[in-house]
Amino acid sequence: MNAVELHRKLENNAGLLIFGILFVSAIGGLVQVLPSVFQDALVAPSENVEPYSALQLAGRDIYIRESCGNCHSQQVRPLLAEVQRYGPYSRAGESAYDRPFLWGSKRTGPDLHRVGGKFSDAWQRLHLIDPRTVVPDSIMPGYPWLAETPVDAPDVQRKMRVLRRLGHPYTDEQIAAAAATLAEQMEVDAVVAYLQALRAKP
Amino acid sequence: MPFDFWAGWVAVLTLSSVLGLGWFVFSIYFGSGQEAEDSGTVWDGNLREGAHPAPMWWFWLILATLVFSVIYLMLYPGLGSFAGAMRWTQAGDVQGSVAAWESRFSAKRAEIAAAPLDALQADAKLMAAAERIYARNCAACHGTEATGQANLFPNLKDDEWQWGGHPADIETTIRAGRNAVMVGWGGILGDAGVRDVADYVRQLPHGATSDHPGMAQYNQFCVACHGIDGSGQTLLGAPSLADDVHLYGGDAAAVEHSISAGRAGVMPPFGNRLDDMQIRLLVAWLTRS
Repeated sequence: MNAVELHRKLENNAGLLIFGILFVSAIGGLVQVLPSVFQDALVAPSENVEPYSALQLAGRDIYIRESCGNCHSQQVRPLLAEVQRYGPYSRAGESAYDRPFLWGSKRTGPDLHRVGGKFSDAWQRLHLIDPRTVVPDSIMPGYPWLAETPVDAPDVQRKMRVLRRLGHPYTDEQIAAAAATLAEQMEVDAVVAYLQALRAKP
Repeated sequence: MPFDFWAGWVAVLTLSSVLGLGWFVFSIYFGSGQEAEDSGTVWDGNLREGAHPAPMWWFWLILATLVFSVIYLMLYPGLGSFAGAMRWTQAGDVQGSVAAWESRFSAKRAEIAAAPLDALQADAKLMAAAERIYARNCAACHGTEATGQANLFPNLKDDEWQWGGHPADIETTIRAGRNAVMVGWGGILGDAGVRDVADYVRQLPHGATSDHPGMAQYNQFCVACHGIDGSGQTLLGAPSLADDVHLYGGDAAAVEHSISAGRAGVMPPFGNRLDDMQIRLLVAWLTRS
C-alpha cells in the first residue's frame, strides 16, 4: 500500500479517521508522559525527603485553599540566575509527597521552594496576617483570618489516612498523635510550619 | 545495563514516528496512485473536482525538519536511554554555567571578601552593591532603612548591638544566625512582681533608686544575663537595659509582657544563602560611619 491509498482509505472511513487522529495526537503523551509515570527516578522520594508532619500537611492544604500558588511558584529552575537567587534547583524526587505538586510557573511573588529558614517564624506570622507591617511596598494580600481559625484536626487525620493509601508512610501512631499536636494550633501556625519546611534537603 | 522497557518504548515510538512521517511524505509526493488532475466528475453542470499537487516548498520544509530531528536525536538525549553524542544533561548545563561564572568572578570576589573594611566602605560602587544585597536579604525584617521594625527586628543603624557590634560579631550573626532565649518569669514573679521589676527596669537608664520595690527581684533573677547595672551581655544576646533602646517596646505594658511571657528573637542563618563576599560587604555596609 502506498500513502496515497492509505490517505484515501482514511478519508472515506469515519471510524478509521477518528482512530487515526486519536493515535497521532496520543504519540506525544505516549512518549513524554506515560514512561515518567513508571520511572522510579521520577516518582521515588529523594534522599532525606520525608512526608509532611501533620501540622505541615494542614498548612499545605491551607496554602492550596488560599491560592498561594497563583502568585508563588515552588520550582527553582536549573538556571544560573535561579540557583544563585533561590538555592539548589528543584528535583522531581523532592515532590514525591506532594499530592498535587505545587511547582507552578506564575511568579507575581517570589519562588517559595527554598524559603524555609530564610525568615523567622515571627516574621512569617506578621507577614501572613498583614504583609505591609514588615514589607511596606508589598502587594501581597493579608490573610488575617488564618490567625483566628483553628486547624481542623480530624480533617487532617482523614487526609493522612488517605495519603497512606497512596503510599505515604504514615504510622498509626503518627495519625493518632496528630490530634494532640494540632490542638490549639491556628491555621497561621500550620502555614508557617509548612513554609519553614520548604527547603533543600541535605 | 538491564533492559529498560520504557527507554525502548520511547526510542521505538520516536524513531517510527520520524520514519513513518518520512515515508508518508515521500510517498505522497513521489509515490504511485496520485489523483488525476481532474477526476472527471462534474456537479451542477460546471463544478469539477480537481487535484492540485502540494507545493514543493512544503516538501523541502518537511524534509528539513526531518533532517533536523534526526541530527538532534543523535546529539541530544531523546531516544530513551541514549545520552546523545554531546552528553548534554540539564544538571551538567547548570553546573557548567555556575563553573563559568565562578572562573570569571571568584578571584575578584575572594579579593573583596578579604579586603579591609575601610577600603570597601570607601568604594561607592561596592557600597551600592552591599545595599542591594541588604535589600534582597535583610530588609524584609530589619526594614528598608535598616532601622528595624515591628518591635521585633532590631535597628541596625544605632550603636546598640544585641549580639555585639564588632565586625567579627556581626559576621557571626549573619553567617550562623542567632537564637535569643529569654524565658517567661510571670510564674515566678507573680503579677505584682512583674509590675515591680518592669518599673525598675524602666527606671534603670535614669538611675533607679536602691529602695525600689523591684530591685531585690531584679538582682535575684535578672542579673545573671542583664548584669547588676543592666548593661547586658552580648555573648548571651542579653540586651542592655541601661539605655532607652527597647527592641520589643519600652512602655510599661511591653516591658511587663517581655518579663512575664519571655522573648525568643530569631535571626536565621544566612551562611548558606550568601557567599563570603556578600557577607563581607554587608558587614562593611552595616559598620560604616
